Order: sequence, then structure tokens, then C-alpha cells
Amino acid sequence: MDPVTLQVMANAWRAVAEEMEASLVASAHSPNITERRDCSTAVFDAAGRMVVQAATIPVHLGAMPEAVAAVAARGVRPGDVWIVNDPYAGGTHLPDLTLVSPLYHDGAHVGFAVSRAHHADVGGMAPGSMPAGSRELVQEGLVLPPVRLVRDGVLDDDILAIILANSRTPAERHGDLRAQLACHRVADARAADVIARHGARTAVDALGALLEYGERRTRAAIAALPDGEYQAREELEGDGVGDGPLVIAVSVRIAGETMDVDFAGTSPAGAGNMNCPLAVTRSAVYFVVRAVTDPDIPASAGAFAPVSITAPAGCLVNARPPSAVAAGNVETSSRIVDAVFSAVGGAVDVPAQGQGTMNNLTIGGAGFTYYETMAGGQGASPGDDGPDAVHVAMSNTLNTPVEMLEAAFPLRVEAYRIRRGTGGAGRHRGGDGVERVIRVLADAEASIIAERRLHGPRGARGGEDGAPGENLVNGAPVPGKWRGFLRAGDVITLRSPGGGGWGAA
Amino acid sequence: MIGTDGTDTGPVLVGVDVGGTFTDAVALVPGRSVTLAKVPTTPDDQSRGVLEAVDAVLERAGLRHRDVARFAHGMTVGTNALLEGRGADTALVVTQGFGDLLELRRQDRAHLYRLSAAHPPPLVPRERVVEAAERCDAAGVRVPLTDAAVADVVRRVRDMGVATVAVCLLHAYRHAAHERRLADALRAALPGVHVSTSHEVLPAVREYERAATTVVDAYLNPLMRRYLGALGARLGDAGLPTLEVMQSSGGLTDAATAAAHASRTVLSGPAGGVVGAARLAGGEAPRAITFDMGGTSCDVALVEDGAPGRTQRSEIAGRPLHLPMLDIVTVSAGGGSIAWADSGGALRVGPESAGAVPGPAAYGRGGARPTVTDANVVLGRLDAGTPLAGGVRLDADAARRAVAGLAQALGITVEACAEGIVRVANHEMARAVRRVSVERGVDPRQATLVAFGGAGPLHGCDVAAIVGARTVWAPAAAGAMAALGLVLAGRRRDRMASVDRLVADGDEVSRTARELAAGLADGMREPVLTFRAACRYEGQRHELVVDWDPAGGDAALAAAFHRAHARQHGDERPGSPVRALSVEASAEEPGPAAPVSPDAGTDRLTGPVAVAGDGSTFWLPEGWTAARRASGDIVATAEAT
Repeated sequence: MDPVTLQVMANAWRAVAEEMEASLVASAHSPNITERRDCSTAVFDAAGRMVVQAATIPVHLGAMPEAVAAVAARGVRPGDVWIVNDPYAGGTHLPDLTLVSPLYHDGAHVGFAVSRAHHADVGGMAPGSMPAGSRELVQEGLVLPPVRLVRDGVLDDDILAIILANSRTPAERHGDLRAQLACHRVADARAADVIARHGARTAVDALGALLEYGERRTRAAIAALPDGEYQAREELEGDGVGDGPLVIAVSVRIAGETMDVDFAGTSPAGAGNMNCPLAVTRSAVYFVVRAVTDPDIPASAGAFAPVSITAPAGCLVNARPPSAVAAGNVETSSRIVDAVFSAVGGAVDVPAQGQGTMNNLTIGGAGFTYYETMAGGQGASPGDDGPDAVHVAMSNTLNTPVEMLEAAFPLRVEAYRIRRGTGGAGRHRGGDGVERVIRVLADAEASIIAERRLHGPRGARGGEDGAPGENLVNGAPVPGKWRGFLRAGDVITLRSPGGGGWGAA
Repeated sequence: MIGTDGTDTGPVLVGVDVGGTFTDAVALVPGRSVTLAKVPTTPDDQSRGVLEAVDAVLERAGLRHRDVARFAHGMTVGTNALLEGRGADTALVVTQGFGDLLELRRQDRAHLYRLSAAHPPPLVPRERVVEAAERCDAAGVRVPLTDAAVADVVRRVRDMGVATVAVCLLHAYRHAAHERRLADALRAALPGVHVSTSHEVLPAVREYERAATTVVDAYLNPLMRRYLGALGARLGDAGLPTLEVMQSSGGLTDAATAAAHASRTVLSGPAGGVVGAARLAGGEAPRAITFDMGGTSCDVALVEDGAPGRTQRSEIAGRPLHLPMLDIVTVSAGGGSIAWADSGGALRVGPESAGAVPGPAAYGRGGARPTVTDANVVLGRLDAGTPLAGGVRLDADAARRAVAGLAQALGITVEACAEGIVRVANHEMARAVRRVSVERGVDPRQATLVAFGGAGPLHGCDVAAIVGARTVWAPAAAGAMAALGLVLAGRRRDRMASVDRLVADGDEVSRTARELAAGLADGMREPVLTFRAACRYEGQRHELVVDWDPAGGDAALAAAFHRAHARQHGDERPGSPVRALSVEASAEEPGPAAPVSPDAGTDRLTGPVAVAGDGSTFWLPEGWTAARRASGDIVATAEAT
């Protein structure tokens, strides 16, 4: 495809994904989607390869292809919209509900539209469906293998009823699913526009050409990295349940235009919920690839084709049923990034470690579920200080404004501040972490899932480590993974880690 | 008034818009004449260029200073000060425990994959943030503000020696008493120090955006007061009438009000262009899309029945500014946008721009990289023989050399490359058109594209074709649309209040709206009152701003919201409860009649042809025909396919 048409079509198909996302964010109900933007949308080709993605959240980067593959395996028919969240059949963790609908033109199947959104509650043993301490998948919520939510253009009220009956917040789920379904109608209309404007031949050929384009660019970028094999190892701070060590071992081999990432030597899946399906592991690796190559390369199956990822079946980063996975998506994924960055750091300069956690907090009680992740310190880089108080790796969600939070939930935020001096010292200083103090105004159950409570993120090239995070309930420290009951008036405090410094001061 | 030729001219309206490179002036004698003039902007003291522009336009029109009945001004003083960090030393007062509000932002990082990228620093450094011992929640006061706490805040602010103070306390959009008390105490103790409070600047939920907007208001205040004061004095000395200023909302206000509410004029410049285009299109096109393409960026807005779309959310220089304003979408694509080949072999255009210096290669000022302007020169759409506005002569050989370098890298001919650059840029701009139309639930195919700005008429038809619009209108005043908007605008006042209640069959929201409107139109001729409410379905978190008439009560508001939601999101939910978060009332004076452009004395044109005009060139592609009217306007139509 000529260089002009290629760019014109890149623009046209990207607009389809972006208009889906704009519609979803604007009409959804939960703060998770509308305020925090914990969602993404994409267009795939008919072979199930991701061509364009509108993603504000890196953890969704590599996580959609499995969902499309799982749906495609069930058969593709016009007028169907599939829903799936089973981490072992196309999902990541249960709150992420993924919708997949085939795109048709003149009776021919030309691609798929995909949307994924983090729903605030899909049932399970604790409000928010992100329970600290879960031991098997079914404890974490309703498991949906690929099933048709819409059949022949008609919403299946029975499937919807099952989903709503399994959530603590059914009205909100209903509103969010409506918004998600509407964005698939947007996809149908916009894809039809693209085809009408450019012709079916050009529009569909462009999907393949864009994949080749992404692959060319990534190959060129990897070729610029020094060849070699680089190892790294990170240890997680337990899963709050089992007592075995949880080690992520990674070997990154850069050879010419390709990169092989192998997790051989990683611990077996743990008894708790820090485990990841391979889709999540892929997202974490792709995040590092984008950061060390050229972020201008759009994410696509093509862009990631030169990167191969292998992990032993049943290990922490390639879990198998019935392992619990709720925290793998948010926490282990962050630490996989740390490990892969450390390895790639053998080849090129990379930033010191950032906070390495999302500081997940869920509070739920009668009729409400609040879930939020919290920013922390970014690691310093060879040329700059690490930014303070930002999401550092796999997440980039907006906070829930204090005023919105207090209006929606029986919670009061007593302080929200930067933890000065928690970033590691160095020639360039690591970013500072954050403190958030919340008083619950009604009896509630709370769950914290956080890493980096024992050891701070590491500095690089002589820079000092960042300070570890802390969790407190009524002023008393509690572990990184904690679940318990709170009485009205209790105070829960989360302090996120600072980032590592870069270079000796 | 009597013109220099001795005939009665009627009232003369003058508008002067200061842009980055040129200061444009328009003199309008309603029903009789429109005169344009262009002088270089004087960055050291913009008011000097303003007076030069006035003199130039009046001389051209054969009028004198004392003939001018109204003087309206569009400016970039606020935007530039924000971009360059030249505002006042400002203190910020916040609720105890939230002193890092501005630095925390919304906790998202500046770039997803460039991990060292930082947000712009807050306008108020941390050492000038003061925490007040007080607390309200959504239901009311939790920790009362004591006299001692007030005195403590006043003492600490005084010690800082700042010029202005912003006060933003939690939940003040609904419970404003603490902000009022602090503001009163600060004003009493620190005369000469300006105080902006969040409940006055922006009574809307979301503390970060409200605080950031309030800080902008305080930060720009002294600068805006000085600038408008100095300009007003110069105008007075010259025998010109009192200064009126274009607001981001698309209406004029007096200089004193503009000086007191500095955040409301940050988008003064682009608003003028949209108003001008909306007023011109109003009579002929029920649905128009304004397309303002300049050297570095392209501004697009939707106009329905002569009224530009409105929003309450924007961002300037990486900082949120949430105020009632025209809904303008900007993309970084302009005549100076640089074309390049990426590592995957795609032809890319922008976001990097050659700007005015060195400018496109064709400007002969040392630019060597190919730009959109260079591509237009290679394609013959810009005639190297015709100087541009400001007398720039185009160097066709330099343009060709620049494009040839890129063509070689891509392995295509120079002509194909030039064509490609224009096509890629057009598709980028078409996305902006889709954002203001398709994403707002409006079909662009029925819209007229009103093309203006230095490069708008050159790209209007091609962009229209991409989105399926079939009519393009390039007004004769395309090169001075913002200044024309100034003379066609009316005075406008906006008021906003927080409500937060379910919209039922009663009248509560409507009554609040009517109360807001009381006195709003005082002193205006034939004011038009309009009302908007930010609403959402109960449980949703994002508001949609809808127009309604409070005379119909709250049921009318609910119906308007159901319609708007169905239109924008394709999701109809009649019967679902609707919550209103805030209401806005606006009073606007009708502006003078727009110059008519009778469809008479017209030349018929058939594309492809480039038509050089006064300050801009119109490109009529193959498959389009156009009428060039006696007024100089060009109206182009796509042939049926």
C-alpha cells in the first residue's frame, strides 16, 4: 500500500476505535469507566489480529487477542455480541468484561470490534471482586466464558439477568453494559463509513497493510538495540495466602530485529491471587517494548509480532485453572514490568524502578462498592527526575475526585497529599509517593492489595531506593495484602512507594 | 455620523483581533460596507499594533476615530501568559489536608510510554499554598471555620507578599460560606490584592478542575487589568469609544468585567472567528462547521441554527480550564506542519510545525523541510507569483526542493508526494470535524463548511469531501474572520449555579434557572435569554449540557436531556431518572446584521481551479463547482456522484 493511503487508512481505522471509546466513556455509569477511564476499545481484522486500539491503560495492550480468539473459536455470525471475562478463555481478571462483535460488509466478515471495561463489581467473596486472599477463581466473581449477550441483534435478557443477579451493584452494571453495547453500535456505523468512503477493497486491505507497517517499525526499533541475552529476577512480597516465594525470572534475548522474552525459572502459580494468565504477561512485556523502542509506533498485533513471549505452563505468569488471578492483572503485571525493564537495562539505559504497585483499595458495604488505585513515585531516568504522584506502569487511570467520591459513597477523605522525600536520592531524584487517608462512615468490608510494602523500588546506577509504601488501619500497620471489616468511624490510610533515584548523588 | 465623503454612514463598528503574526481590523457600517486591514502584531506592547490597525482600517474606509460607535477587541494576552508563565505571584488557599491538590492533578502521567515526561508545573508553587482549618462535605459543614483559622490564613498569605489569591475549598460549589468568609477577610486585610473564589469562578463539582480554573483566574488578573487599562486609555486618548472584549463564550463584555474575570477571556481569539463564521452562515446554513486553518493549527466548531456549540471543559497549556465557552476542537495541522517519512514508510504530517520562523521552505527564510504550504506550491494551488498576506513572496523552487527530498525517501514522484502531504493533512483535519459533529451525534453531511484563516479556503473542499459535506463557503473576509466576529458579536453575560437534584415534574431546577437570569440582561437591548443545564442519568458520572426553556418546567428539561442523550450516544432511556448538576443562564444582545452576500453578479467556476483572493487562496477541486459572488464570497458545491 502506498505511503499516503497507508497513513490515511491508519487515521480512518484509528478514528473508529477512538469514537467507540469516546462514546463508552461519556455514557457509562461507574466512576471506574467515566472518571478513571479503565477501559479500551479496538478493531481487529477477520483473522483476529488487533489492528488499532484506543487504550489509555497499558494493561489492556496485549490482553484482547485471546478474547477474540476465544470468540472466533465459537463461530462468527452477524448480529451477535459476545461477552467474556474468563481469564482462562480470553479474559484477564473477572472485573474486566470484554465485548466482541464481528464486523460485516455485504455479508462478508471483515473484522471485529472489541471493548473492555473494568466493572466495579462482578460478585465473588468481597465487594469489588478484587478480594485479597482469594484462593481460586470462582471466589473472585461470576465467570463468563464467551457467551452471546446479543443474538441476531436482540439482547439476551436471560444472560443479562444472570450477570446483574451476580453483582452487588446491578443498576450500575446495567448502565455500564448499555454503554458498552452502544459503543459496538458506534463501531458498526463507523466501520461502515470507512468502507463506504474508501471502498471495501482498500479499507480491508488496509487492515493487513497496517499490521505489516507496525511490524516494520518495531523490527527497525529492535534492530537498533544491542544484541545479547539479559537476565533479571524480581521477588514478590507474597500473596497473603501461601508461604512459598513468588519469583519472576526473565531472560530477554535481543537478536537482530526480534526479541524473545522467556520466563523460565519463574515460580509456580501461588495459592493466592497474584497469578496472571499469559495475556496479562504479554501486556506487561509490550509495555516495556513500547517504552524502550518508539512510543509513536501504534500498538497492534503487527507491532508486537517481532516479540515472542514464553512462560512455563502453570507458572505465576502463565497460570492455569483454577488459580485465582484478581491481583495478577494489577500487581504482578507491575512487577513483570520491573523485571523486564531490569533485563532490558542490560542493553540500554532505562529508568530506575517506579512504585511497582497500583495500591488497590476496595471498600464495600450495604449498597455500595468503591474501588480505586493510587498513584506513586516514578523512577528517575538518566536525564530527568522521576515525576511525583503518577501512575507508573500498567495503569494510568484518573483518580476519583474527592468531591465525587464523598457524594457517592459513605466515605470521607481526610487527607490526600504527596509523601515528600520518599523518592530515592540520586543525580536525578525518584518521584515521591502519595498518601490518602479515608474515614469510613458506615460499616464496611475493605480489601487492600499492594506490593512494595517491604522493599522500596530500586534505584539505578548508584541512585538510592525509593521508600516502601505503608498501609494502616486506625494508625496500626497492616500487611500489603489485607482484608478485614471496618466499623463506621474507622480510618484506613494508604501510602504509596517513592520511585528509585538514578545515578550517585 | 458623517463620513469623509460627507454622507451619513450610520454607526461604525470596529473590531481588532490580535494574532501571533498579524493584528486584523474590521470596520463595519451595518447594511453598507465592510472594510478590512492587516498590520504586524507588536509583541512588546500589543496595544500599539491595535491602534495602528484601527488607523489603517479607518483610513481605508474613509472614516475617522470619532465616527466609531463601538470598539470590540479579541486578544491572546491570557493564552500567551499561560503558555509563557508570565502571570502574577499567586497564593492558593485550600482545605486542610489537601495542600498538594494542584500537584496531584488527577494522578495520570503526562505520557503513557515516555516515563520521564512531566506535567507543566502548577501555576502556584507549593510554598504559596495555605491550608485552612475547615471542612465541608457534600451535606454541609463538618469542621467549622473559626475566627482563629481565618486570621491564620490571612497572616500567612500576607507574609507571602503575593499579588493575588485563589481560594478553593472542598465542596464549595455547594457550600460557599467558608470561601466567602476567607475572601472577605483577605480583601479587608490586604487591599490591592485580588482574590478569586472557586464558587464564583466555577460553581461545579470536581475539586482539581475547579481549583485549577480558579488559579488561572487569579494568576491572570493583574496582567489583564493592566493590559485592558492601558489599551482603554490609549483608545480614549484617540477619541475612540469604551473598550469591549470578546469572551471565550463568544459574546462581548465591557473591559471592567473582563479585567475582573480574567479566566473568561482566555479563548477570546478563536471565539471571534467562530462567531464571525457562525453569524455569516446563520442566514443560509442551518448547520455549519467552522474550519479555521492557520499556520500551525486548525480550529473546528459546530454551529446549529446560527448558534455555536458550547462546552464547559477545555485545557490550555496542559492545565484544565472548565468554564462556559465555545466548543472548539483544535488539531495541530496547519500550513506550516512538517511532512516526514516514519520508520514504517508512512507519510506523516505534523505535529511539528515550521511556524512563522523559519516557516515553510517556500518562505525563503531558511526552512528546508517540506510543509503543507510547500506541497500546495508544488501542486500549483498556491501561486508563487501572488504574495501572501504580509507581503511574503513564495519561492517555488525552494518548495519543490523540500518536497523532492521527502519524495525520494518515500520512492514516489514529487507531485505524488505533494498530493500525499495535502491528503494526509486533510484527513488529520477531517478528524477534528468528525469530533465536533459525529461524536456529538450530528451528521456532517448536511453541514456547510465555512472555511477561513490563512489556509482554510485552500483545504476546505477536500476536508468537506472526506466527511461527506457538499457545500463549502469561503467568505471574502476569510483572512480576518476573528475581527469580523468582533463587530458582529453582541454583549453576553453568563451565570452558573450548582443544583444537584433529580429532575422531576416540578419546577425546582427551572426556578433556579429563572432566578439566575434575574437582572442578567440589565442594560441590554432586546436581550435573548438562553438556559442550559448539565445533566446525567442517575448513576452516570459524566454530564451532558442541554439547552431548554425553563418556562416549560423541569419536565421539559428531562425531555431535552433524553433527546440529547439519544442523539449523542444512540442510547434511548425514556423513563430513567435524570439528575441536574448545574444550570447556566445567559443573556446575549443580538449583534448587528451580518453583511449580506446576495447570490447575484456571480461568476461560475468549475474545478479544478485555484482562485486567488484577498489574503487567501481558494482551491476548488475536480468534481466541485462554485459561485463567486459580488461580495467576494465563494460558495462551492460538490457535484452529485
